[in-house]
Amino acid sequence: MKGLGADGPYWDALSAGELKLPRCADCGHWHWPAPFRCADCGSWYFEWVATPIEGDLYSWTRTWQPFDGTENLGTPYVSVLVELPEAGGIRLLGLAADTETPKIGTKMTGAIASSHVWGRDVPMIRWSAVAA
Amino acid sequence: MSARFPVTTAVAGIGVRQYKRGTAPLPEQGVLVGAIVDACADADIDPADIDGFVSYGDDHNEPTRLMKDLGTKDLCWSSQIWGGGGGGIAGAFGLAAAAIMTGQASTVAVFRALVQGNSGRLSGAVMAHHLNDHLIGTGLVAPALECAMRAQRMMEHDGVPAQCVEDLVRASYYHGSRNPKAVTYGKDLDVEVYRSSRLISEPFHLFDCSRENDGAGVLIMTSADCAKDLKQKPVYLRGVAQGAGKGWGDLCQNEPNYSSAGFESVARRLWAQTGLGPQDIDVVQLYENFAQQGIASLIDHGFCTVETVSEVLRFENLIAPSGKLPVNTGGGNLAQGFIHGIGMAIEAIEQLRGTSSNPVPGARNCLLAGGPGAPLVSSAIFSTDQE
Repeated sequence: MKGLGADGPYWDALSAGELKLPRCADCGHWHWPAPFRCADCGSWYFEWVATPIEGDLYSWTRTWQPFDGTENLGTPYVSVLVELPEAGGIRLLGLAADTETPKIGTKMTGAIASSHVWGRDVPMIRWSAVAA
Repeated sequence: MSARFPVTTAVAGIGVRQYKRGTAPLPEQGVLVGAIVDACADADIDPADIDGFVSYGDDHNEPTRLMKDLGTKDLCWSSQIWGGGGGGIAGAFGLAAAAIMTGQASTVAVFRALVQGNSGRLSGAVMAHHLNDHLIGTGLVAPALECAMRAQRMMEHDGVPAQCVEDLVRASYYHGSRNPKAVTYGKDLDVEVYRSSRLISEPFHLFDCSRENDGAGVLIMTSADCAKDLKQKPVYLRGVAQGAGKGWGDLCQNEPNYSSAGFESVARRLWAQTGLGPQDIDVVQLYENFAQQGIASLIDHGFCTVETVSEVLRFENLIAPSGKLPVNTGGGNLAQGFIHGIGMAIEAIEQLRGTSSNPVPGARNCLLAGGPGAPLVSSAIFSTDQE
């Protein structure tokens, strides 16, 4: 299995307990998924910026059907998409920390965790609603 | 003004063999050869004269492996649309047309074959094309989940009502129950059964999801002039567009137009190249891997907006022969059966030949909207008219 594009530093950072996301070193645009080249200015240089694991719930699904590869999650489980305002609105996939019905727009905070899928540990972020 | 698509190719033959998942009598390649031979008999041509092959969705049946069974005299064209899902289905007809119009081939079979014993479950095969650690770490291991998240946004945030979803599903099952070739022939879908069906991945209930069948479907394309001399009434390819506009593609759910089905630029190009618009479409074969994605596709193509969706997506409006926007007149991927969508292309031809089980009176133009929400999508218009 693999990531997507040029996202090696993302996985390295997660494994080291940090969230880092790519911003063009020349024009400052955030990009996700991570590209090799910034199509906005043509640069090949990116800064991987440490980012707070905070955002707004953009969408979600709660899955009840046990699909192959989800054995260690059990059912139901809630997958989420969180938009990070401090990283130019990049959206990251994650898992919810509980199985309550989420609400789009909710402020979320995340913690780095991992999933065991097909005999391998895959780093990911577990998100919880910020208490109002 | 955009250049008009040259209406110089046509579908001359169709063949399909569909079975319950896991019950195909032959391995995948054998089933496909059968469907090709059926399509040739329909068109009254010799299978050995097919000189081009086109598919989509990571089909495994390389044309070179079909030559022995078909007696292929000369393989002149072999190509496939990128992507693991059904997004490329309509674009496949564009590849066939390009081959014929440029003289690189003359008789092209557009096909899709899938038999579980050979290619595994369709959902797994489609997802295998796209999987990465971002997805598997967060439980997004099947197409349903990826689509469910977009559908959730469309319903909860954009406000597309659940009633529209239910009406689209009911229309598909209504047509399927009246189509002897459909899995659901003779069986109506009870609304209470629909509403109480188990949840797969919210907001999808069981009946919002397409089926999976073993089988193969084939459409033979030739030049329009050749088609006129063959056995069947030609059904012309009036226009076709494939691709993804900027901001759509394989973006790990970072598309600006997130809850759409990804057709914005494809639909714009399709209307421009044909000079047609939604008002000119008499019947739609709407690829719905999941019902909500079908609704997003109709919105993308301009049949309604989020604001008017409730006026257009009403059961009575979606059924043949009386509805203004008959959709999935064979039953679609939900009710007719699902060989990665190829059955919908065949229903488009049946509808325009006048042989559909749910005929739309006087239908001239049929839209085939390909797999929605895929990183690459495509749409085509088939027509009874060359002009």
